[in-house]
Amino acid sequence: MKNLITITILGLAGFFVGKQFWEKESRIDYNTQVKPILNKNCISCHGGVKKQGGFSLLFREEALGKTKFNAAAIVPGHPEKSSFIQRLSLQDPEEKMPYKRPPLSQNEIDILSQWVKEGAEWGEHWAYQPLKKPQVPYSSWWKQALSWVGLQAGWEENEIDHFVASKQAEMGLGHQAKAEKADLLRRLSLDLTGLSPTEAEYRAFETDDSKDAYEKKVDELLKSPRFGEKWASMWMDLARYADTKGYEKDDKRSIWRYRDYVIESFNQNKTYDQFITEQLAGDLLPNPKESQYIATAFHRNTANNDEGGTEDEEFRVAAILDRVNTTWETLQGTSFSCVQCHSHPYDPIRHEEYYQYMAYFNNTRDEDVPDESPYYRHFKSSDQKRVDSLLHFIKNKYPKEHQTWKQTIQFVEPKIHPHWADEFINAALQDNKYLAVRPGGSVRFKAVPMNEKTEMLIAYKNNNDAPTQLVIRQGSLQGKIITQIKLDTTLSEKEGLKKGNWAHGWTYAFYTIPALEGKQDLYWTFNNKTCKPDQNTAVIGYWMLLPKTPEALKNTSFLNLAKQLISTQPEGTTPVLLENPNEYKRNTPVFERGSWLVPGKYVERSIPNLFAKKYPKPVRNRLELAQWMSSPQNPLTARVAVNRFWEQLFGTGLVETLEDLGSQGLTPSHQELLDFLAYQFQFTYQYKPKEFLKYMVMSATYQQSSEFTQESKEKDPSNRYLSHGPRIRLSPEQLRDQALLWSGLLSTKIGGPSVMPEQPEGIWNAPYSGMKWTKSDGEDQWRRSLYTYWRRSSPYPTQVTFDAGTRDICLSRRIRTNTPMQALNALNDPVFMECALFFARKFPQEKEEIFIEKAFYQLFGKEISSSKKKHLMRFYQQVLPMYQKDMMKCREFLHLCPDNSMPKEAPSLIARALVSNVLFNLDESINKP
Amino acid sequence: MDKIIQEAIQREAQLATRRHFLSSLGTGLGSLALGSFLTNCSSDAGTSFASPLAAKSSPKLGKAKSVIFLHMAGAPSQLELFDYKPSLAKFDGKECPPELLAGKKFAFIRGVPNLLGPKAHFEQRGQAGHWISDYLPHLASQADRVSFLKGMHTDQFNHAPAQLLMHTGSARLGRPSMGSWVSYGLGSENQNLPGFVVLASGGKNPDAGKSAWGSGFLPSIYQGVQCRSEGEPILFIQNPSGVNSDIRKASIETINQINQETYQEFGDPETVARIAQYEMAYKMQSSVPEVMDIKKEPAYIHEMYGTEPGKESFANNCLLARKLVEQGVRFVQLFDWGWDTHGTGLDGSVDYGLHQKCRQIDKASTALLLDLEQRGLLDETLVVWGGEFGRTPMQENREGKKLAYFGRDHHTEAFTMWLAGGGIKPGVSYGETDDLGYSTISGKTSVYDLQATILQCLGFNHEEFTYPFQGRNFRLTDVFGKVIDPILA
Repeated sequence: MKNLITITILGLAGFFVGKQFWEKESRIDYNTQVKPILNKNCISCHGGVKKQGGFSLLFREEALGKTKFNAAAIVPGHPEKSSFIQRLSLQDPEEKMPYKRPPLSQNEIDILSQWVKEGAEWGEHWAYQPLKKPQVPYSSWWKQALSWVGLQAGWEENEIDHFVASKQAEMGLGHQAKAEKADLLRRLSLDLTGLSPTEAEYRAFETDDSKDAYEKKVDELLKSPRFGEKWASMWMDLARYADTKGYEKDDKRSIWRYRDYVIESFNQNKTYDQFITEQLAGDLLPNPKESQYIATAFHRNTANNDEGGTEDEEFRVAAILDRVNTTWETLQGTSFSCVQCHSHPYDPIRHEEYYQYMAYFNNTRDEDVPDESPYYRHFKSSDQKRVDSLLHFIKNKYPKEHQTWKQTIQFVEPKIHPHWADEFINAALQDNKYLAVRPGGSVRFKAVPMNEKTEMLIAYKNNNDAPTQLVIRQGSLQGKIITQIKLDTTLSEKEGLKKGNWAHGWTYAFYTIPALEGKQDLYWTFNNKTCKPDQNTAVIGYWMLLPKTPEALKNTSFLNLAKQLISTQPEGTTPVLLENPNEYKRNTPVFERGSWLVPGKYVERSIPNLFAKKYPKPVRNRLELAQWMSSPQNPLTARVAVNRFWEQLFGTGLVETLEDLGSQGLTPSHQELLDFLAYQFQFTYQYKPKEFLKYMVMSATYQQSSEFTQESKEKDPSNRYLSHGPRIRLSPEQLRDQALLWSGLLSTKIGGPSVMPEQPEGIWNAPYSGMKWTKSDGEDQWRRSLYTYWRRSSPYPTQVTFDAGTRDICLSRRIRTNTPMQALNALNDPVFMECALFFARKFPQEKEEIFIEKAFYQLFGKEISSSKKKHLMRFYQQVLPMYQKDMMKCREFLHLCPDNSMPKEAPSLIARALVSNVLFNLDESINKP
Repeated sequence: MDKIIQEAIQREAQLATRRHFLSSLGTGLGSLALGSFLTNCSSDAGTSFASPLAAKSSPKLGKAKSVIFLHMAGAPSQLELFDYKPSLAKFDGKECPPELLAGKKFAFIRGVPNLLGPKAHFEQRGQAGHWISDYLPHLASQADRVSFLKGMHTDQFNHAPAQLLMHTGSARLGRPSMGSWVSYGLGSENQNLPGFVVLASGGKNPDAGKSAWGSGFLPSIYQGVQCRSEGEPILFIQNPSGVNSDIRKASIETINQINQETYQEFGDPETVARIAQYEMAYKMQSSVPEVMDIKKEPAYIHEMYGTEPGKESFANNCLLARKLVEQGVRFVQLFDWGWDTHGTGLDGSVDYGLHQKCRQIDKASTALLLDLEQRGLLDETLVVWGGEFGRTPMQENREGKKLAYFGRDHHTEAFTMWLAGGGIKPGVSYGETDDLGYSTISGKTSVYDLQATILQCLGFNHEEFTYPFQGRNFRLTDVFGKVIDPILA
């Protein structure tokens, strides 16, 4: 073995010595040398928005084309014939470029001129180039050789550290030794589980002297169910998860099962490609499971406007645009919203390509209606079994019809909503939502795909004492009568008629109609003799056509059973993505200048050519889109994901602009490391998050002490070169959760509907909404912050104060601030004070000095310094007599009623609670060490 | 302690890139903001240290230093207040001409509605001869102090999106509000108070909710802080029960002493910033309740505004707005509610309900102008009054029914706002509507134009006042807006 190592080392030595003498080609590099000059000086007038003089530098073919002066501005190989170069040196203020701006430096002109001479080749921005595994920059050949046989010498623990150290060497920076054990454990635990370690964990880790103590702890924390909760917290911002719909009413939305899906996915170590595929296209997977439908709620977290009088189509389109922009920002790190109005100003993506991409998302059934259709109906398990067995039967016997029956029974879709109606006579859309018709009134439903369907369901309200007559005619108001039916709420409930209380309060009934072919204009006329002229005969919530019953089942109980299941009350619902059936397919136009009111030509689905040209497979639907995203040909997915993981651990992404890796994003601090990590994540770890996170936290870079040195303050003030460990302010979730954990109040319950912990009065005061913040009972008030009810118009105060955003739209990164409002929150919020009191109660018998020592150890896993102890002791002794003297104050503090007896130790308990309040507010508590 | 702060301040000055939101700004205001931020650090140690809210100056010194925006949420009827249309009175009760309806959409009007003549009595007021109805007698007496934009229009006919557009420049959620932009650009002149304060009558938020004063993609320190008229004026500003101010002081001192040691251990400049923030929090605990307390105001002031301490009224909020501006707060946003006069009930009628609403605000909003004036603050305080859109010249006929009361539906094509004070030429009326008051025929002013004009008064060129986000430079006015020069001083 030893010989083998020697031979390997010698061989490698020769190889590397040889390598030193390779020569580098010196050609002008478009990305690093040319593009920055163009972006800074030229592109705002000659880019994707403005094309002054008919000249644009965004695409090569455009730049080499004829300008409005009828000649090409760039002639490859000939700077002297290129007006693009010549004009840089002109004096005439009308002719010289940049127009009305300072001229370029001679060096810049030389670079551009040489570039034209070399052929004016456009390079691709680094993030759009295919992912390749970069060479690890070992500082010496023997370090490389050792790493080949799995050994590390010196500071470095794995490849990450070689990249980091190489950059540090370049910058004349050093790094830090390993952090203290307690600090390291607190950092690791906060990063992997979102929680501070317990006293027992600190002790166990402190006393574990085995070589792999740290690695064992990493493995243990990755297995903890708290892991999924912590990483789901990150994903919630990207998914713009909220428990309400947004806009004026900001009414409640039941979508918490999606949050639980995300927690579960992280806990299962679901591969990232599967994770994003399920969220973008779970409904299109073969035989989707319930959880895969729930996953698609990712894109049902868009706002839904219920305000009276709003146009559903406007807000449906707004939601689709949001889905497009969110997909690009969160999963592809590309600011795509620019392209909504015009070609991308800086990156080679054309206006039309936005809409070709939007077309993937534009064919889902949701239409901004108040009940948030379509939704998955979660049945109790016995009902779900009945549904499954009927669907199973159809699948075996009539596989072609399985999908439509599944949509009908599991989802009650495709619903036809009132906004489909037009030609209102004595009828209107009530509140722009529901169809209300007065006696004799009528509406048209234009071009409804009938396709020989013979069963319909109508959800309606009728407040009159007698049934309303509904006549449906074909083609015109005088056309052939298709059916005459009664909208009746006077009868007692029976088969086929359900009164209220089901699916958002509608009474509904099934009706049989004769078979009609193709698309038909249906005219609905309503009459009710008991109705006064200004009263409504009925209000229609929605209606739908049931699929054709298979011929062989016509005389069986199949249809009745199906109807029964359709009428079965679910336990809950989750809004999901559901693709329109073919006959309801929506086409997608380009919106001129981004306005939905100005549709241009229709486009077909496609990914931008920049990517399509490298991908051999067709991308025809959301599923194939998701598959492209996780394919080796997609250059962005892995880079964007690892950049996010990095930011969670180190506080700043390798590309600081997590939302934009495009050419306007900030330059990566370690581009090769980012590529290397992306490669590792995608190929070595096959998109498994736990393995990948382990790889990152095992690095020396992660484990180093977070002490700032004079040198790092000067040369690396924001720690972009990792000259010390990450010392980062905790998130609002982490701050509240750790206080609950320390106090012993934290509930370990996972998942379920969102909860309402203590919150000051008067936070929820949106108009036109009956929603109330009702404090949850029992342990539900002490759940992890991830489960706190999120109302978009007024999120939980601690979240807002500590920079969490509102979740109106996706948020790629929270910009950390440091404000007095945060101090007030952490000092005075009753939740934090309650935690301090419960924490103090854990040490009833101890002398105050021992209490302070133990308390400090519980929080930080280390001994308190004597001077810190002195400060706390002094505070304790200052406060204690104030309460000993003033029993009223004690009562106030403990919220005691006059008839409650006061415990003897009240003053000391309160003084300890106040000491704990101080401890919880220390910089050490508020930061990751 | 002083030494530590001194050291950190110097360090801070070198750490130009520490704060992302300042560092990533390349041009325009950003570099200016950064410049003044650094100057401020080295010249003024102590409280304003490391504060992104430190007072800054705009690129071009503006006439106005602060803004008070009085938003009548729900949208008041211009046709009963300022936009006098005798012809509309003539056609009162007649069917609306079909050409006005063709291709138009309304929130609630269906079919063919009738025209509705003005329900208030109008007179020309002051030297300027502004038409102001008898619903607003107090304002009418001060007509020469204000300027009107009578050709306002918007493209949103529902409350929440229209309010968002008015305050954030976008009808969709997620953009920073005007107040956030202003406090981002100008900081605050008082480090013991937030730079951007929101006051809502009766604590009732507008339809657009907190997004109307959100910071969007700007750092959250620039978001509006809602001062509440009930309970604590600012969340968590009061000590927990049973904790007095001495104890709070002692606890903050203890925290800061220990944090100083932590700074020695780790050398993290954020720790020093945190020390300063905890000190400022303590100062705010006394300064905020003080400024929010109107009890100590003299009787003549209460008389002038019609304020009653302890009430949750618009009048109280007007007085507070003056006090806040006096203390250096940059942007004070008031919301009043109940202006949505559809005619579905007596309170929502233009002949009764609207008159009542006017009585609630007329005296106080006029007093605000006079009070600012007598303190020499009107010249540097821009006061803006208006709703999110206008109301139709037609009577609302919800679902085709004649309603029992006189009301008007939401209207995007014409409405009136008034401005006064810093940067505004008094007594101007800009823009005109057609004979029925249906649409603007001259001096068309979009919401973006209004925003551009407000920024102009503060010294900002709205096209250059940008923040980079998602790969592009965003601005309040998006890609629109022109300054309305005729109303500028």
